[in-house]
Amino acid sequence: MAPSLNKAFKPRRFAQLLLRDLAGGYRSLLVAMAAVTGTVILVSALTVLGMQLSGRHAGTANFHPNMFTNLLFLGGFIVSSLAFREIRQNGGGVFYLTLPASSLEKYASKLLATSVGYALGSVVFYTAAAAASEGINRLIFGFGNSFFNPFDPNVLEALGYYLVAQSVFLLGSVWWRKTAFLKTWGMLMAVAVGVLMVAGITARIVFHEYFHGCTLNLDDVPGWNELSRQTVLGIGPLVEIGRILKIVFLAGTAPVCWLIGWLRLRDIEV
Amino acid sequence: MIEIKGMAFGYKRQKLFDGLDLMLEPGNIYGLLGKNGAGKTTLLKLICGLRFPQAGECRVLGYLPQNRPAGLLEDICLISEDLHVPPVTPVFFEQLYAPFYPRFDHGVFAEHLREFELDGSKKLTELSYGQKKKFLLAFGLASRTRLLLLDEPTNGLDIPSKSQFRKALARSTTGEQLVLISTHQVRDMENLIDPIIILDEGKVIFQESLEEASRRLSVTMEREQPTDAGVIYSDKTLGGYVVVRENTAGAESLVDLETLFNTVIANRDKVRTVFDGAAAGKGA
Repeated sequence: MAPSLNKAFKPRRFAQLLLRDLAGGYRSLLVAMAAVTGTVILVSALTVLGMQLSGRHAGTANFHPNMFTNLLFLGGFIVSSLAFREIRQNGGGVFYLTLPASSLEKYASKLLATSVGYALGSVVFYTAAAAASEGINRLIFGFGNSFFNPFDPNVLEALGYYLVAQSVFLLGSVWWRKTAFLKTWGMLMAVAVGVLMVAGITARIVFHEYFHGCTLNLDDVPGWNELSRQTVLGIGPLVEIGRILKIVFLAGTAPVCWLIGWLRLRDIEV
Repeated sequence: MIEIKGMAFGYKRQKLFDGLDLMLEPGNIYGLLGKNGAGKTTLLKLICGLRFPQAGECRVLGYLPQNRPAGLLEDICLISEDLHVPPVTPVFFEQLYAPFYPRFDHGVFAEHLREFELDGSKKLTELSYGQKKKFLLAFGLASRTRLLLLDEPTNGLDIPSKSQFRKALARSTTGEQLVLISTHQVRDMENLIDPIIILDEGKVIFQESLEEASRRLSVTMEREQPTDAGVIYSDKTLGGYVVVRENTAGAESLVDLETLFNTVIANRDKVRTVFDGAAAGKGA
């Protein structure tokens, strides 16, 4: 380890920061876990009841993967958005920023807790909550939804996407002074609208001769039909471009957000 | 230990420091005095890296505090006026936070908790403002950091606690430590803070020991309002006037902090002349 990094990152301090964050938030965590368990049991039971009433005596295989994905993303984004709220609290900023640890350790501890920590914790907790809910369903109704499989490919894919997307909300947490979750969400919407507008204007300029009023008739564009056929078959340049963009997004978003977030944390004045 | 050279800092609409110079050495309990808005709290924040200088340099223990290096933060304890405590018991707080301070003394901490009569089983968020402050002071003193920054430490403390605080600080401070106390409550700090630093209009306008102040200034009580040219400061008080003049007799005179502060603020140029003349005399 390089000497400067060795000074900026000490595993002992990092572990102590993690312990501090866990100890500070364990009550909220217990309340959230109780609320989620109740919600899972209730919604799962209502789903099974609905099936029983409609005469179908079998649950669905997708209920828990879908429910888990929704809770993972919504809960994770909220948790990530609240990660640095202490800095903006009265006196909290002085307390946190003068805590003897480097900005790298402070950012990394929040990152680990809200990304991998939250994701793994959610999987373990949800597996137990789902097992409890399905046990109850089977006791009451005699059948239930499929048990939650944490190794389901859809679940694993969702976890991967979560790890990328949460980095944006963690950046929002350190960036915004108040209501970080709403502001980050609003910012993402604004970026999406901006990208759509740029794409629309670009299409208008490039394909201006194929526009009829505001409508673009792609069938008139030379080679479009072939391109469209290839895309449906999963080949061709559009598929390749899409694949490259996806890789860039998945591999690039999180590191860029981490870097900006860390720099922002270093520059915060209170 | 603290070396500030030509430092400038201001907020959007207000320039606070412009070319501030300050040198502070360990083994002292400095008193930082100034009028409201003089920048006392901001100076403490600049020293521990919570605000960044806009020009010039501020070095603390050899570090640039704006980088907030862990090595520096391990040696700084700031107890600000806006207290923040997590919802844990004092014992749990000690377990969570003491490991961040390499020289933390658990024995001293327990001693101060007893002295301040703090209940170790009650959550910190359930304590009163004064109790929270006493708890953080106990922790700060036990952390054994080389730099202890206290912003209005006696605000919110009851009368016995103020006395306990003075005793605890005087007893716990070592020759390697530098304590910088920003305060308006000068009477609470009598016999504790020395030397005195007075900030005004973005500059250090006074930085002297009380011994030197007693040697250079004479304070007398007079029945009639003095009119002679030698008066640096006078103020009506019960039964007469407190009068400050240059001490030409040689005998040391007791200068209380409030009178000293008022004198410096009211007539800084004359005070400067008196002290500069003394320094020149020493040099000769």
